[in-house]
Amino acid sequence: MSQPDEVSKGRRSFLLQAAATGAATAAAGAAAAAQAPPPSQGGGDAGASSAAGPSVSEVRSEGRPGSDYMVDVLKFLGFEYICANPGSSFRGLHESIINYGGNSKPELITCMHEESSVAMAHGYFKAEGKPLPVMAHGTVGIQHASMAVYNAWCDRVPVYLILGNTLDATMRQPGVEWVHSVQDAAAMVRDYTKWDDSPVSLQHFGESAVRAYKMAMTPPSGPVVLVADTELQEQPIHSERPLVIPKLTPTSPPQAESGAVTELAKLLVEAEQPLFIADRLARTPAGLERLVELAELLQAGVVSTIPNLMPPVGAGRMNFPTRHPLNQTFRVNAAIAAADVVVGLEISNFFGATHIFVDQVERTTRPAIKPDAKLITLNSTDLIQKSNYQDFQRYTAVNMALTGDGEATLPSLIEAVRRLLTDQRKSAIERRGKALAEASATARERFRVDAAHAWDASPISTARLAAEIWEQIRKEDWSLVSGGLSGWPMRLWDFTKHYQHLGVSGGSGIGYGAPAAIGGALANRKYGRLSVNIQNDGDLMYAPGVLWTAAHHKIPVLTIMNNNRAYHEEMMHIQRMSNRRNRGVDRAHIGNEIDNPGIDYAKLAQSMGWYAEGPISNPRDIGPALKRAIAVVKRGEPAMVDVMVQPR
Amino acid sequence: MSGRNKRMIRIPTIALASLLLVVSLGAGAQSPGPAAPAGNAVRGKVSFFKVGCYQCHGGEAQGSPYSTAPRLGPAALPFAAFSLFTRKPRLQMPPYSPEILSDADLADIYAYVTSRAAPVALDKLPQ
Repeated sequence: MSQPDEVSKGRRSFLLQAAATGAATAAAGAAAAAQAPPPSQGGGDAGASSAAGPSVSEVRSEGRPGSDYMVDVLKFLGFEYICANPGSSFRGLHESIINYGGNSKPELITCMHEESSVAMAHGYFKAEGKPLPVMAHGTVGIQHASMAVYNAWCDRVPVYLILGNTLDATMRQPGVEWVHSVQDAAAMVRDYTKWDDSPVSLQHFGESAVRAYKMAMTPPSGPVVLVADTELQEQPIHSERPLVIPKLTPTSPPQAESGAVTELAKLLVEAEQPLFIADRLARTPAGLERLVELAELLQAGVVSTIPNLMPPVGAGRMNFPTRHPLNQTFRVNAAIAAADVVVGLEISNFFGATHIFVDQVERTTRPAIKPDAKLITLNSTDLIQKSNYQDFQRYTAVNMALTGDGEATLPSLIEAVRRLLTDQRKSAIERRGKALAEASATARERFRVDAAHAWDASPISTARLAAEIWEQIRKEDWSLVSGGLSGWPMRLWDFTKHYQHLGVSGGSGIGYGAPAAIGGALANRKYGRLSVNIQNDGDLMYAPGVLWTAAHHKIPVLTIMNNNRAYHEEMMHIQRMSNRRNRGVDRAHIGNEIDNPGIDYAKLAQSMGWYAEGPISNPRDIGPALKRAIAVVKRGEPAMVDVMVQPR
Repeated sequence: MSGRNKRMIRIPTIALASLLLVVSLGAGAQSPGPAAPAGNAVRGKVSFFKVGCYQCHGGEAQGSPYSTAPRLGPAALPFAAFSLFTRKPRLQMPPYSPEILSDADLADIYAYVTSRAAPVALDKLPQ
């Protein structure tokens, strides 16, 4: 084994050589930090490929540690924040962020669990349209984070992971640094990440960092991993040539082939009852606007959340206004059964959406559609499928499969439909639109009647709670950053904007809700939006330390505890098993309840610096408590109202 | 709501529609048939929670869109249909045999769900 001094010399030589043979071409240009940051998906111009600026930028490097250059790269990429639970394997980068980088763009967000870091990044992206990087150990950190990474993968969210690791075994301090080192840090999440790299030089790091950003953001988006070797972070930069940061040119989202788009347009124009089912379609606000335009052009029905599947299909993004007359979500079964052309837009569970599955002793499946109905998919997920994890869902036999990004393809589909629409068809589809509007209005009224039942119940009905929240927020610029509350907000609230619903976790990995909500609220903060989180109790207890993160960083969010004191989904499964075996169901709560003692969530939140009230069991007390909490949130702080609610 | 979502559950369209139709017609629209056996609503509430009806149908039998469990009261199915559906459900609901839920318990539960409060006026709900 080499002596440390000798190894260090060798290391310095290696760095010199690496710099001298770097692939990038040096050229004069502005400092990296001065370059315009890349556009966000939320800005709607991610496809722009001609951003102004030099093709490379020089970074002054003499006498500085490698992690300073890494910070230059992070600044160049336009990151506003970076989440981390501190770890020695990225201590160099941590120090550079707070001192060299001035702890600004990115600002370090202190997290108490790597799963929280990643879920915060997940929620942040869906509100902001830009990735939020996460630093973590290449071993125990990514192990903690892995479930959240899987959620992001399933939800097509570009989480940007930077993992610390010491590859050179002779540089590791005996003890913990050995158990915190790994040959291949990205290996354990490679099944559910889009791309990764382990750079061996700083120039390599810079180029791969830019490539990682491109890979993450190009639809279909997904998490990426970049390993930051400790030696690269901590050793001084020795470079005969200046390190460069290559230009970032966002990749245009792929569009479906033009002939197929025309064929689809023809089918849609000729259809008697076309129906769109949209899931992760609207990557940006433009996606929602285009879907409205297409639906109105055709007077076709749209389903954007199928509520009676668990997890709901179509809840990935805010695709369509909930009260739009063509929204058929609340009569989804009838709409699917009546459709002669069903188009799945960026939907992975198309099979579940178009079939009926019954979980009895003998599990059965049968189509939910008419025998002659045509099934069509338009999605980009066909471009990236892996084998091990089964998030791709059951294979669906379709009549047409268009491969391309749904949102990017909608403009050409709209134009194709417009060209094919005759005046005769226009009058026919106008009648269809009126019928759909009447049907959706009837469905909405039915749900209001449903909500009026058990109005004064205690524990409080989920519908009553949703109505009470709506009464307090409906005149605000609000954003539901997490939480479904049995689907009642989608039924009772008026969702019109892209950021008003950030969607579900993707992988149904519990522990997502609280950190994703706070990540979304972090993004919403600068816009002055009222972030609303309806927080499931079991979900919060996975990593409640994220409450402290919100208080510490003054992230305003209104959290309403959906406190039903059990893992009710699981209790229903045990109930099913018990009944099926004829053993009675009176013991189904064992292993599923979160009671005896009940958790005092208000005290938990207060202990971490939150304003909090509750538990509230009288429905008349909800409104005043929400008013007080909203006043706190408007001051820029988090606030919680703990409400005792019914299971469903 | 808590817990991992492991299984898809979806109620077949026609059956659900039929059930909802009957429920929505209400007690006043029930077809003539055998009267419901006398049940005790207080005991019925105990059973309703003990055997887990509340999990899907809500503590006040109000139903839930999440689990697609229909509202059971105060306007309810005729008891014969209520009993048949409990014993031999065609949909996602697990079957309740007489061994785990006696006829007397079922009658008590029926008394409970039909004694639930009427809905409030719709103008109490925010627009």
